[in-house]
Amino acid sequence: MADVYDVVVLGGGVNGTGVARDCALRGLRVLLLEKSDFGVGASGNSSGMIHGGIRYMLSDRKVTALACRDSGYIQRIAPHLLFRIPFLMPFASRREGATLRERAAWYATEVYVGTYDLYQPLKRGKPSTRLTAEELYAVEPGLRPGLAGAVTLDEWGIDAFRLCVLNALDAEAHGAEVRTWTEGRELLRGAGRVEGVRWRDVLTGEEGEARAPVVLNATGAWSPALARRNGARVPMRPGKGVHLTLDRRWSNYGVICSAVDGRQIFLMPHEAESIVGTTDDDFYGDPDDLEATSDEVEYLLEGAASLVPAVRSARVTRAWCGLRTTIFDYGPNEDALSREHQLLDGAAEGLAGLVSFVGGKLASYRAQAEEATDRIFALLGRPPVPCRTHELPLPGGDELPDPARLAAGGLVAAPVAARLAYRHGSRAREVLRLVEEDPRLGMVLCRDEGILAAEVVFCVRHEKVRRLQDLRRRCRVAVGACAGVDCARVAAQLAGRELGWDSERIRAELADLLDAGWRERRAILDGAQLAQEELLRGATGPLEVPW
Amino acid sequence: MSGLLEADVLVAGGGMAGAIAALAARRAGRAVALVRRSPGATALSSGAVSVAPDLGALAGEPLASRRPPLEAAARLAAARPDHPYAVVGTARLGEALAFACEELAAALAPFDDRRRFLATLYGSAVGAGLCQRANVAGDLLSVRGLLAVAGFAGHAGFDARLVAGGLGRYVARGGPEPRAVEVALPAGLGALARPHELAGALDAPGAAEALGDALRAALPAGARAALLPPVLGLDPGARAVERVAARAGVPVAETLSDVPSVPGLRLWRALEARLAAAGVRVVQGELAAAPAPGEPVRAGDAMIQAPVWILATGRFVGGGIARRGVLAEPALRLAVQAAEGREAGVHLAVRPAASLTSRDRRRPQPLLSAGLRVDHALRPLDERGRPVHPGLHAAGAVLGGHEQATDGTGLGVAILTGYLAGLAAAEGR
Repeated sequence: MADVYDVVVLGGGVNGTGVARDCALRGLRVLLLEKSDFGVGASGNSSGMIHGGIRYMLSDRKVTALACRDSGYIQRIAPHLLFRIPFLMPFASRREGATLRERAAWYATEVYVGTYDLYQPLKRGKPSTRLTAEELYAVEPGLRPGLAGAVTLDEWGIDAFRLCVLNALDAEAHGAEVRTWTEGRELLRGAGRVEGVRWRDVLTGEEGEARAPVVLNATGAWSPALARRNGARVPMRPGKGVHLTLDRRWSNYGVICSAVDGRQIFLMPHEAESIVGTTDDDFYGDPDDLEATSDEVEYLLEGAASLVPAVRSARVTRAWCGLRTTIFDYGPNEDALSREHQLLDGAAEGLAGLVSFVGGKLASYRAQAEEATDRIFALLGRPPVPCRTHELPLPGGDELPDPARLAAGGLVAAPVAARLAYRHGSRAREVLRLVEEDPRLGMVLCRDEGILAAEVVFCVRHEKVRRLQDLRRRCRVAVGACAGVDCARVAAQLAGRELGWDSERIRAELADLLDAGWRERRAILDGAQLAQEELLRGATGPLEVPW
Repeated sequence: MSGLLEADVLVAGGGMAGAIAALAARRAGRAVALVRRSPGATALSSGAVSVAPDLGALAGEPLASRRPPLEAAARLAAARPDHPYAVVGTARLGEALAFACEELAAALAPFDDRRRFLATLYGSAVGAGLCQRANVAGDLLSVRGLLAVAGFAGHAGFDARLVAGGLGRYVARGGPEPRAVEVALPAGLGALARPHELAGALDAPGAAEALGDALRAALPAGARAALLPPVLGLDPGARAVERVAARAGVPVAETLSDVPSVPGLRLWRALEARLAAAGVRVVQGELAAAPAPGEPVRAGDAMIQAPVWILATGRFVGGGIARRGVLAEPALRLAVQAAEGREAGVHLAVRPAASLTSRDRRRPQPLLSAGLRVDHALRPLDERGRPVHPGLHAAGAVLGGHEQATDGTGLGVAILTGYLAGLAAAEGR
């Protein structure tokens, strides 16, 4: 017996969850299927910038305007998940050998950034400024000597994993059915059209059919394969993007650097760490089997060190990657590809009702979802219902609690309260209520990331956690510099208690959690991080000895 | 700073390998100086010394493996020619383990070449050739009947129900019948106390006794033994386990620990106490850019001269091997050329990290087992396979070709190679 919906959304990234929320808010019956967890692909592994896409201002001015406006909306609906990040774009002095051409380029940059300023009010950004050399070294003393000044650029970032989770939770709160670790395996076809999806729960093996006249394929880098399996085509140029996490803040502001091949990369402080990104290379391998390579790590470190030399002595704690789903175009280099998005219709291939999502940007996800939902209404032949995703807050986004006041209750220290407020917004109070009820949950599992035992319990109860590794994305379990030495076991105990896991399941979940971390560290094991790896293996080795 | 400190043997490294080497040379009558930087990986010990895995045992059926540790070590050596057990041979392993247990009797239980099955924090069982005194009563095959697994009420760090639930699956294999109970936290400790705080509090007079009384009150009728979190005292001399047991009226044991490890710190304290009692000169510091044995070398505030050196500086945690783009041995700049699953060779040290690891985390990882290559007398070899110096020996995790934490040998390699290096150094003087 199949369940019946108006639309089945495949993919729990920002597009899929965004569409599910919009459809649910507009009254459609929605099923969202995600074959692993929210945001595991391009969404969560992006740099998290909800910037206006200044890179695309010349080629895709529409992308810039759309991104800026929508960045402003995201700030309205999820004010807690945000961090402001001013960037510096330093330029070399003439004496140091900048050519006329380079100087012309920098002049053009200033004009360019000045033009971008016109969009800044859309996203509460401050206008750009020009810094003299003296001002530049005063704000960013770690820069290499010999720079003549910089242009500043105001941007915003977001916890993209949690953005996906919150969209999914809100969709569910408005009637959608949301299933993680459930793969939409096969499209059900009727005469020239799609009629639903056959799915399988990858944890329990349960299978089922969901009937719906519209299926939205928002599976990102997985969509070409999904389409191929069902006799359709989704052309795209998947681009692999690698980021590095460094152990501490190596700069005060974001710094735009030039990599060895002239592409722009950045170094930016994020919480207690720094992030270096991003590579951009065509990738036609298996999206489930994605790891950073040694040369990608070196490419990023070399580029960042060209402006902040101390980065060479940084401890790299993770190298993480995702696949962008850029629109197919034959010819351009990867970084010159458009970040526009497309909604491909399956009608021509005998799959009317199938809509595939290609391309797009994190910053514009909400607008993209709105467009897709409009399309879904058209396909359903329903009268339009206005979109409200830009004005209704996401869960926890209704109010921004003051961390100092959260900490004033004495239940948690101020840094932990700040992290709680950042990750949970107004719902941080519900987390603290758990500590009031059970003081044991006041235990801080990770002093690095400020993970509270109560936060683990809260996420497990209210945020659709089905596997221990889901907590990496909900509240950063085992992603800090210690890779889980401190937090993994107790987090597993707490999750296991909530979810009724037995000892063997807990050990299997821990092993799976450690596997996910290992894949992010294989290419960066060096210095202190290598000692940390030895420590982690020693601490967790007895878990897995077969004898 | 004083003048030149002269010794027969200089040991670099104060973990298990260095301490056993120093004590072995000391027992042979040599004057020994030991330079050490920090507790190192030995202080992270779970409480058990695995010694050797039973390679023939069924996966997931630990209690079915009955091969004695020494025989298992010999089989491991036969199967893995690059493993330190194979390089030096396991003929004297029993002697080395007995020596370690005797020297460290404050912490370690006597060695009897019998595999004990000890509970982890996850409720799984691990076979160990050697263990701390605090673990003995928790040997799952020695408890007949009811085993109480006691957690602290109001503390989330140890989940007694998880441990008891996990151990339940071994009942059919001859294990005891586990049952979770709760006892009150030691006085003055709150829900957020860390393991070493709990352990330190239990060392205090009266505290272990109070816990024993509370345990006695909580024990189910017919309980034959009690298993507690691995926090039963930091000071091996305080004998917290015995004191708890005396009041509880049943044998008491700890589970094995993860990191940070109270049993590891307890073991390290036992090492330090024994080194001092045996008359080993312990110097705080490390050898940096050291010349060759026989020449004076600076270590911390001291200048030390000894004709024979033993390098027992550990691997990455201990600092004996480091990687900054390239694998290196920082103290003497010896060649790093041994790694499990990779042929020896100079190129090993310069390979990218990813090429020295396997995608499957649970497989042996050459990078994590990188270290020195040695001959049968534990003399480090140069790139052409010749001993670097006749008076230089190496022991413990600085040796490559094994990953002690995951290959099922634990501190067994440290004890065997430390013992043999100590004896060789005593002879070679």
